[in-house]
Amino acid sequence: MSTIELDGLDFGTLDTVDILGTDIELFRAGSGTPLLFLHGIDGLEGSAQGLRELAKSFSVYAPSHPGFGASERPAGMSRVDDMGYFYLDMLNALGLDAPIIVGTSFGAWVACEMLTKEPGRARSLVLASPLGLKTAERREHWVADLFMISKQELGARLQVGPADEQSMPEMSEARLRRVLRNDEALSLYGWSPYMCNPKLGDRLHRISCPAMIVWGDKDAMIEPEYRARWRDALPQAQVKLLSGAGHRSHADKPAELATLIGQFTKGAAK
Amino acid sequence: MKIWHFSEQAYHPAWGEPAGLRVNFPQYHCDPVEAGQLLNRYLDEYCLADELGLNIMVNEHHATATCMSTSVMTTLAILARETSKARLLALGIPLANRANPMRVAEEVALADCLSGGRIEMGLVKGVPLEVIVSNRQPTQFMDRFWEAHDLIIAAMSNLGETFSWEGEHYHIRTSALWPRPVQQPHPPVWGTASSASSARMYGARGYTCATFLSGAVARSVFTGYRDAYIEAFGKQPSADRLGYLAVVACASDRKEAYRRAEEMRKYFLAAPRFDAPFRNVMGFNPVEANLRALTAGASAMRPRLRNGEPLGPDASVEDYVSAQLMFVGTPDDVYEQLAQFNVDVGGFGNLLMMGQAGELSHADTADSLTLIAKEVAPRLAEMPDVSPLEVRYEGVG
Repeated sequence: MSTIELDGLDFGTLDTVDILGTDIELFRAGSGTPLLFLHGIDGLEGSAQGLRELAKSFSVYAPSHPGFGASERPAGMSRVDDMGYFYLDMLNALGLDAPIIVGTSFGAWVACEMLTKEPGRARSLVLASPLGLKTAERREHWVADLFMISKQELGARLQVGPADEQSMPEMSEARLRRVLRNDEALSLYGWSPYMCNPKLGDRLHRISCPAMIVWGDKDAMIEPEYRARWRDALPQAQVKLLSGAGHRSHADKPAELATLIGQFTKGAAK
Repeated sequence: MKIWHFSEQAYHPAWGEPAGLRVNFPQYHCDPVEAGQLLNRYLDEYCLADELGLNIMVNEHHATATCMSTSVMTTLAILARETSKARLLALGIPLANRANPMRVAEEVALADCLSGGRIEMGLVKGVPLEVIVSNRQPTQFMDRFWEAHDLIIAAMSNLGETFSWEGEHYHIRTSALWPRPVQQPHPPVWGTASSASSARMYGARGYTCATFLSGAVARSVFTGYRDAYIEAFGKQPSADRLGYLAVVACASDRKEAYRRAEEMRKYFLAAPRFDAPFRNVMGFNPVEANLRALTAGASAMRPRLRNGEPLGPDASVEDYVSAQLMFVGTPDDVYEQLAQFNVDVGGFGNLLMMGQAGELSHADTADSLTLIAKEVAPRLAEMPDVSPLEVRYEGVG
């Protein structure tokens, strides 16, 4: 699978790496302490603003998850639990022992699946607007169901600022294929139980590195109750609220998020 | 050509509500007493079709005011006792929405026993929006469909000891099917297709393949089927391997037939009334299929009028007749329109006829069915075979 130029990712290199026979699209930029960035439901292409800020201070590794973007998906991979093992293999393949791991939204779930399996593989962990913990209890729901709203409504809900999404008919075929692959992957991993691993909450105590959870105070994808659930499930984590940011805090407040991450990881290293 | 009477068994009294009618339409809009009266009325019409010598087709949908038959096999189990001659076509059973294919096999076998071997077993994928209702995984739908199919066929045709099944998607400890179907090795299998490539899957297996309300697209669907059938069996399939679903309104004078067709046209207005996000559920259609559809444009796969224009959402009865989704008029008119369509598509042997649709009343339905059975069906049964067309279909997938 060949990689393509992605809008906004002009400050690093986009390559394909072979991880145990699976071609994974990997964006690399910046220098400094290694930082693995795990994208959210907006895909690698939706992460550009956040990556640009992080690359000023870190050596950033940002893959497209298996099945997303231009990354292949191993035939047997159907759960984020599987993806946790896959990324541990990827750390080995890239020679990364214990990078900083930053996961946003869906990617924060991926990060937790990795570190509940091998807690030693991160020097610190940042979860921005995390999903992955149970999203509902019977008739009580804490995360908006992205499969039940229109693309336009989802686009508008994901950040405070306007969605700069092209509409599908305007997209190039290559861009459209990425969007459709992202949709298919979200459906595969997040359809039911909705955007979570119900067992994750009982495993989060295994995460032993310094951890920080960052929420946008204007996140229209989650209910306040969901923040409380995360606080209870990961009591060892610092919790920060970013003012004026939505679910995609890396798009609404990229510099502020990068500053928070810089301060937190510096403090954690002492 | 055989005729199969079909009704979606709609709850049309709620269609006046300004809301989507499918998936999330609140059930307080349903008066259950009225629902029961309508369901009994539709069953009466099916029984009339049987008395008139027509065959019967039933479908199922979920969470919708457009179709109250929530279980095709439940409805057919009733008709298995209430009718005596008609073949009973389930088209279809939305396979990949069902958690356990063995329950499907049991339901079909039960109805086949009850009816003395009159069941025709349509196995279908299901519509994208109903994966929301079943909440089954949208991705890998076709893989699940074919594994479920393989298991059902294996269970029905098994004359040896029971077996267990450890598949990719289904895990069955023991396969004993009590009762087993009268028709051995299994009731005839039907499938549905809307493109040449999907029709090929049924052609390669020799199953009967139907296409619904597709007008001229039926040409390429049938050609895809025939090509795959010839590859697999070395000869042309007989016309009875192919079916076409359309709305038929008949009356002894043309003006009355068009009045009836106008009542039936309301089906076309109600069926697509659901919220936009349910139209193409993420992950249900494969990426490349979605890509083809999006790059081809919204109207590429729409049926077309005689003048080549795509059929619009507010099309008139005349438009539907022109696009060959409706056959309307006196018995002579209906016969002539069907004979023309038969030539246009290279021959097909099963007219899946919406003899009731939309808000067509019981009296109108009964009169239309009677005319069709007495004056159209005998002529269709005698209609000479046409030679299959040479149609290039690659462009339509």
